[in-house]
Amino acid sequence: MHPASSIEATDLARRFGTAWALDGLNLDAEPGEVIALLGPNGAGKTTTVRILDGVLDPDRGHSRVLGLDPRTQGTELRRRTGVLTEAGGLDDRLTLTENLVVHARIRGIPIDEARRRAGEMLERFGMSARADRAAQGLSTGERKRVSLARALLHKPEVLFLDEPTSGLDPAATRDVLDVIAGLADEQGATVVLCTHFLAEAARLCRRVAILEAGRLLAFGEPSRLAADLWTGLPVELDMGGMADDGRIERIRQVRGVAAAQPTGQGATVVVESRDVIPGVVAAAVTGETRLFSVIPRPPGLEDVYFALTGRSGVEV
Amino acid sequence: MSDRDWNAMRAVVAKDFTAIRRSKAVVLPMLLVPFLLLVVLPFGIGLVARAAHGTDLHNVLSKLPGGIARPILRQPPRQQLVILVDGYLLAPLFLIVPLMVASVLAADAFAGEKERRTLEGLLHLPIAERDLFYAKVLGAWLPAVAISWIGFVVFAVVANGVAWPVVHRVFVPTVLWMVMIVWLAPGVAALGMGVMVRVSARARTAQEANQLGGAVILPLIFAAVAQSTGLLLVSLPIAIGVGAIVWAVAITLLSRGAARFTRDRLAATL
Repeated sequence: MHPASSIEATDLARRFGTAWALDGLNLDAEPGEVIALLGPNGAGKTTTVRILDGVLDPDRGHSRVLGLDPRTQGTELRRRTGVLTEAGGLDDRLTLTENLVVHARIRGIPIDEARRRAGEMLERFGMSARADRAAQGLSTGERKRVSLARALLHKPEVLFLDEPTSGLDPAATRDVLDVIAGLADEQGATVVLCTHFLAEAARLCRRVAILEAGRLLAFGEPSRLAADLWTGLPVELDMGGMADDGRIERIRQVRGVAAAQPTGQGATVVVESRDVIPGVVAAAVTGETRLFSVIPRPPGLEDVYFALTGRSGVEV
Repeated sequence: MSDRDWNAMRAVVAKDFTAIRRSKAVVLPMLLVPFLLLVVLPFGIGLVARAAHGTDLHNVLSKLPGGIARPILRQPPRQQLVILVDGYLLAPLFLIVPLMVASVLAADAFAGEKERRTLEGLLHLPIAERDLFYAKVLGAWLPAVAISWIGFVVFAVVANGVAWPVVHRVFVPTVLWMVMIVWLAPGVAALGMGVMVRVSARARTAQEANQLGGAVILPLIFAAVAQSTGLLLVSLPIAIGVGAIVWAVAITLLSRGAARFTRDRLAATL
């Protein structure tokens, strides 16, 4: 294991019956890093979290989290990790404070300290007004906030968040994402974010793991993943209408242009670097041609994701 | 045992107590049967005995083992009915209370966690599998025994109180009752737990577990206990022996349940 890694997984695999829920996962995370596990339902994200937290045993491969083997040192590991499960897992019959205090007590926090921290966390997540009321009747957003408060109560060094914003309205989503960003920045916690929302991953994570049907399709920084997939920089030219064949041909002849294709509003040109763009503009703007905008559009996480999963793709 | 995390176990037991107390769906069926069996029935028997002017029970008593029949036959006819029913025949029937209460609570403690989607959160906590299992078992077994014992005290007060004008003395508990309360009832509660732990592993909801256990397995257990009624009534050593068998089966079932209670197995069913 790399000494600086909080998490390292090598060739992790887990089978349920005859189906592989996870098949050959390799990833690592540094202290204070937020990484995303991206993928649709059934991709293997939750299975990964369960294996890394020592809840499920892998059928193949091994992992270390905070230097501990989840398989043999699970109890010790779970003292230092926090998990927000997709369902949240609040007991409707207990009050919000009780829901937090029970988990704190199981974690070995003395009762007075547990109550104090529960109060603080509920205050931080704007739920203190309901602290002594049963969890039954909470909205989805409120449940997520209380569950997140519970996951953070013991100041975990590694935090696993399984779909933390599913079912939340935009304002609640923003609040939760702000909290997650703060965790890494302020507390130095390593965060593993399971999500199928690309925008969340793009905002919070330097590196992403893209999973599909249990297989790891790619892991790394989106820009590097894009560089592995595509060469060149796509540039969109807005000409107010489709570029004619002659103009496309002139653009293609500019040195450093890898490809040029007409689009409904003009053309998409792939150049080797930004330095080629002035030449492209010069070739495009001749005669009566109008050019409204030239926008370099490097492939983002969304393009990488769809290209890798084959669900859609950018044609470059 | 020294490795047990008692603080964590206490926290789980306390959580289950609190949750059960607030759940009408669990509390009401749990109290209804004991109320009927331990309050309504002795009350009714007492009233019947007070109104009766000499029911002839010789035929019934002659079929009972001599050890039981002889002291009852020595009583005046008006006392025979109430002493026979409250003092002896109800005692084995009483075992339905710990069996049923333990089963309902075990279903809630194990299958109920799956149903409420709270199980995964527990699995991600730093508590050993055995500690979590034993805490869950204790969280259901302790209330089952407590309800049985409290129910018995209420029963004794009602039975002796209502029958006082007829019997003129405290006639419950008998020695047989004491064996039931102290030895057999906790064992039967553990047996119900052992069965329901296994059933709950296959059920997705507490209701499903109760249906599976209540419809198929627990009646068989109760039938076995009922069949042993004759044995229980024969002599104290045999009653204690039957209790030992119940405990042995219960401990075997719970030990097997504990061995199968692993995070991996539980998480795989989520």
